[in-house]
Amino acid sequence: MNQMLERHDTDILIIGAGGAGLFAVLHAQKAAPGLKVTIAVKGLLGKCGCTRMVQGGYNVALGKGDSVERHFMDTIIGGKWLPHQAMAWKLCETAVVRIRELENEIGCFFDRMPDGSLHQKAFAGQTFDRTVHKGDLTGIEIISRLMEQVLARPVERMEDHRALALIRSRSGDEIAGVLFVDMRRGVFRFVRAKTVLLGTGGGPTMYRYHTPSGDKSMDGLAMALRQGLPLRDMEMVQFHPTGLLGGANTRMTGTVLEEGLRGAGGHLLDGQGRRFMFDYAEAGERATRDIVSRAIYDEMRKGHTTPNGGVYISMGHLGPDSVAQRFKGMVRRCADCGFDLAGGRVEVVPTAHYLMGGLICDPDTRTELPGLYVAGEDAGGAHGSNRLGGNGVANSTVYGGVAGDIMAGDITSRGDHSLSRLREPDEAAIAVEIARARQPFERQGGNVHQLRLKLMDLMWDEVGVLRTGEGLNRGLQGLADLRAELAETGLPSDDMVFNITWHDWMNLESLIDMSEVIAAAALWRDNSRGAHYREDFPDQGELETSYFTVARQDADGKLSVSREPVEFTIVKPGETLLAGEEEILVAAPA
Amino acid sequence: MSKQRETELYRPGETLAVKVWRGNANGGGFHAYTVPSQESQTVLDVVTWIQQNAEPTLTYRFACRVGMCGSCAMMVNGEPRWTCRTHVKKVIGDKPLEIAPLRNLPVIKDLAADMAEFFDKWTAARGQFQPSQSRDDAMAAISPDEPRRAAANAAIECINCAVCYAACDTVAANPGYLGPAALNRAWTLQSDVRDDAFAERLDAVSAGGGCFNCHSHQSCMTYCPNELNPTASIAGLKRLSAFSYLTGGKSR
Repeated sequence: MNQMLERHDTDILIIGAGGAGLFAVLHAQKAAPGLKVTIAVKGLLGKCGCTRMVQGGYNVALGKGDSVERHFMDTIIGGKWLPHQAMAWKLCETAVVRIRELENEIGCFFDRMPDGSLHQKAFAGQTFDRTVHKGDLTGIEIISRLMEQVLARPVERMEDHRALALIRSRSGDEIAGVLFVDMRRGVFRFVRAKTVLLGTGGGPTMYRYHTPSGDKSMDGLAMALRQGLPLRDMEMVQFHPTGLLGGANTRMTGTVLEEGLRGAGGHLLDGQGRRFMFDYAEAGERATRDIVSRAIYDEMRKGHTTPNGGVYISMGHLGPDSVAQRFKGMVRRCADCGFDLAGGRVEVVPTAHYLMGGLICDPDTRTELPGLYVAGEDAGGAHGSNRLGGNGVANSTVYGGVAGDIMAGDITSRGDHSLSRLREPDEAAIAVEIARARQPFERQGGNVHQLRLKLMDLMWDEVGVLRTGEGLNRGLQGLADLRAELAETGLPSDDMVFNITWHDWMNLESLIDMSEVIAAAALWRDNSRGAHYREDFPDQGELETSYFTVARQDADGKLSVSREPVEFTIVKPGETLLAGEEEILVAAPA
Repeated sequence: MSKQRETELYRPGETLAVKVWRGNANGGGFHAYTVPSQESQTVLDVVTWIQQNAEPTLTYRFACRVGMCGSCAMMVNGEPRWTCRTHVKKVIGDKPLEIAPLRNLPVIKDLAADMAEFFDKWTAARGQFQPSQSRDDAMAAISPDEPRRAAANAAIECINCAVCYAACDTVAANPGYLGPAALNRAWTLQSDVRDDAFAERLDAVSAGGGCFNCHSHQSCMTYCPNELNPTASIAGLKRLSAFSYLTGGKSR
């Protein structure tokens, strides 16, 4: 067994290369230039992950009537009073510095006003136009610029490396390092590190329709769960109302058609061509993401569907030429996929977009396990029950930078302490994890892909946009069955070299683990808040006694969920930090 | 291909004949597959179908599925394309659909190319911003109409997919050439009023593997999936370089 395992040491190990991971690299290196920094990523640096896919932009209060307080209040109200308030505050406060860093030090190109200042656009759920952007491809700009900064620095890169397990020290008191498989060579590698950042991104890709990048399978949270670490708000899965629907066997299905289409006056039509949104909300198609997603889901359950089982978005009444000009990128993308967005009807469907829940940490990104830090979508708390559009990339870049600073500082802080040196790992745990990763090679038969489809159908039907206790219990039972079926499913080849079907198998295992957590947490929340909607408990519950769910797995692999009260450390329900200020509402998009 | 011909050849519900290159750095060859045809189907979907249903050990790259990450570029019927955004009906012909790893890069396995040299050249062309200000400073007021800003903006939306690099005959003939994407990025930086490495970057892109290797074949422009024009960017660098030579490097 030992011959198959390579060993490697570093000081700071960062898993994930989205906004959180890349920022953590830059900050860690600046904070402690003498330390060795290693970044590991499941695909190519700067290419996989979801920050890259950000279309909207970056929320930041830059004065002219906006304030950190206002951004914070929007975040708390948008999150339905569930956010961890100190984390939400730090997000809004630090975004102001981070945007200057992105502009002045990283060299990002953000759209400008005629007077040369940054253009900030309106985004749903916010009382001020504060979203900095680069057209509708903001993520590409941010990640490309961060990527080239990291490429130019003496940073150790481990691309095409999949993290398999967090490994504790012999005493079990700290993290000792991370077990990987070098995907290209099919070789296991154990990397010791003094501090480790989990920045793999959430990404709820266990739903039939989902937006995140194809490499995302919640491996980071699954690894944290197996270490017995607490995950909060896991029932909070945000659905975007308009994912492209191209049928079952195309990867284009589920990808986002932007929010602005509805804002601009796009119509949603059922399979018969009837507008239905006014049956659900006065604002019609311009209602918020959650309301529109629930309405479409309801129409789909009633069978009022298009050929592929969704609804239509129709823009043509606004003038095809005008639509083509205003939504150039979207119209081109649809055309490449064979659809006429400007003049015709395009099938759409709600699509799982973002996981608000995640690993519990403090505002300095420290987790319960010394030496382990978390930032970005893997971290829970900042968004509560619902994330504002534009707060995702702000969150990952803010907290990635914080993590880099803190991880370096925790190593170099004075004196000899457990984080100032490398720890010897629990060798037995490494052996167990290698055996776990190898298990599909020891079985024959089955088709991983068919199981993945089953999982996505199950989660969509039973743990989806509209939930009931009965459905959630059916979901949990179905997940147990799928887990058993996966354990019997093998791989047709025992070649470990760049074997992506093996990785599909492990992706599925992570997704089943996390699906169970989502379903269990959803069963525990007996009200409807933000992204989570229980048809059997439609009320939002008392705000003053708001709680959040905490899920943990014990040493025997048994999952338990509990509730903890939200601490209103900065503002209480019914209060505001904006007393005396006039409310400025974002005008409805023209 | 004409629209009418497209329609004749494209028959959802039937099957597609596909040839996929399989192998590694030591060599390989094309293998034939029959793939069900469907209404909505990209080249990436064809590759995916083969991996999920016929050839579980087939290796390929993809991530975002929407033309943002630039991971899934491959040679399709001999031409470099972003496969997630290439509908089958755009590339189908009389012969089997032929899919191979990107040209001008070493192959790792099957359809996955090794992109290391592409990004090494990006860095060699000083394709990273050199700050003149810090996070403690105010952000520069830059009008979107300012000519240099507009020039940079026209070339900035590169997704580093390496389609241009694979299309470039100069790269094929001269492996030391930095290539269109790296030089295009260098051009956007030379046009960026905030950047502080103009002279050093000009040296980097004017040296042996730099902009003067480009013979303006314009394959980069022809194949860029985002309709950028690296040839024009490289021409811009040539102008800057010549001007710098004439003025003794004093001007930018």
